[in-house]
Amino acid sequence: MAENAVIFKGTKEGLYIILKEDMDLDTIKSNLDKKIKPSKRFFEGAKIMNFKGKNLTQEEFDELKEVIEQEYGMTVAGSYGDKYYDIKSEGLESKKTEILEKLPFEDVHKGEALIIRATIRSGQLIQYKGDVVVVGDVNPGAHIRAAGSVIIMGALRGIVQAGVSGDYGTFIVAFKMQPTQLRIGDIITRSPDGKGSKFNNPEIALVKQGMIVVEPYLRNR
Amino acid sequence: MGEVIVVTSGKGGVGKTTTTANIGTGLALKGKSVVLVDADIGLRNLDVVMGLENRIVYDLVDVVEGVCRLRQALIKDKRYPNLYLLPAAQTKDKNAVNPEQMQKLTADLSEEFEYVILDCPAGIEQGFKNAIAGANRAIVVTTPEVSAVRDADRIIGLLEASGLRNPMLIINRIKMDMVKRGDMMNIDDMIDILAIDLLGVVPDDDFIVVSTNKGEPAVSVEQSLAGQAYKNIVRRIMGEDVPFMNLESDDGFFTKMARLFGLNKKK
Repeated sequence: MAENAVIFKGTKEGLYIILKEDMDLDTIKSNLDKKIKPSKRFFEGAKIMNFKGKNLTQEEFDELKEVIEQEYGMTVAGSYGDKYYDIKSEGLESKKTEILEKLPFEDVHKGEALIIRATIRSGQLIQYKGDVVVVGDVNPGAHIRAAGSVIIMGALRGIVQAGVSGDYGTFIVAFKMQPTQLRIGDIITRSPDGKGSKFNNPEIALVKQGMIVVEPYLRNR
Repeated sequence: MGEVIVVTSGKGGVGKTTTTANIGTGLALKGKSVVLVDADIGLRNLDVVMGLENRIVYDLVDVVEGVCRLRQALIKDKRYPNLYLLPAAQTKDKNAVNPEQMQKLTADLSEEFEYVILDCPAGIEQGFKNAIAGANRAIVVTTPEVSAVRDADRIIGLLEASGLRNPMLIINRIKMDMVKRGDMMNIDDMIDILAIDLLGVVPDDDFIVVSTNKGEPAVSVEQSLAGQAYKNIVRRIMGEDVPFMNLESDDGFFTKMARLFGLNKKK
């Protein structure tokens, strides 16, 4: 009910506190407390431009300003009666969503991708219905299964399975390709026994003539 | 019906996996058909020690859950054609299987192989219960440390309580010079406490580290002392009578070694 009597809103000029119009001052104060207390250190020293929303009386404004400055260590820059324009008429919400799509190619793969920024460690299994991008390493014993392609922006040392639902057109890319095993669709390949040469350039694994082939994908490297 | 042997210890890091790999390989060297089963679901290592990690497609949990047939999950060793590995799953945990399922699995395996050797996880929880469920013999591995011996004692009690009588003891990583100086528990003391039959004593050997990292069990390498000790253990498992070393003697190092490995039998 009185959950969102107080909203913090960042704008170009600075931080505003938006007060819901039909709330009384006590609810606002307790809501403020609930919001700020758990992350008091985050708010400390913050500069509040002004209040918006509810029309405050001079007394109410002063009271709120005092609470915010004394108890939470923030400052209120604006003063009572400052002109402010309605937040809805400007700012992020009214900004037109730019259509970010312009492609000089035609056969581009568009799908859902899972992006993970972490090291995938032994025993961890990542399964996803689309493509998977790992910004980090995949360690031995880790397992990634994706319906789409898999891109490892780090060292691939574990097991990666692309195209689990049978799509041989998917691929696996890694900056350092040292996998325990690679699978595309139902085709399986494993690293050669013994210490294979450590090739340190980015490589791609894809299906060619029914076999998984690993090769560099950048020319002149 | 083959024998189902579980290799266990209670304490971690005493060499269960190394022992499993070496006994299995040793038996295979002797021409026996052997399957190694990694019961350490979620922390599997046996595949790495055997150098077979990159061949795993299906695992023990897949077999139990009926995802694949038993045959499909068995990995043939790259060196010995009569040695197989059933790897554990890495992305699951011990609760993925139960003792009844393990019993059935080991029973199926013992029909096809002369020896089924189970690598038990450390601890006494679900994983341990799973590993011992289908076994008819047990090997307890310990090191000459009070903590490892204490855990071994606990394990022997649990094994006996679940009907696995007469487990056999392997003392691993013993340093003979330290024992001689009195800085390390001696073998007789350990046998005194644990009161079970000694299957073998394996000396501490740097080569084990090398062989583990290479994925080639030490037993197949002639010049490794630990490898030789495992060879003797294998012969004893097969029922041969192989003499033990004599620590108290004042003989030179090489004589002692020779006797340890039964090359210099006293008449």
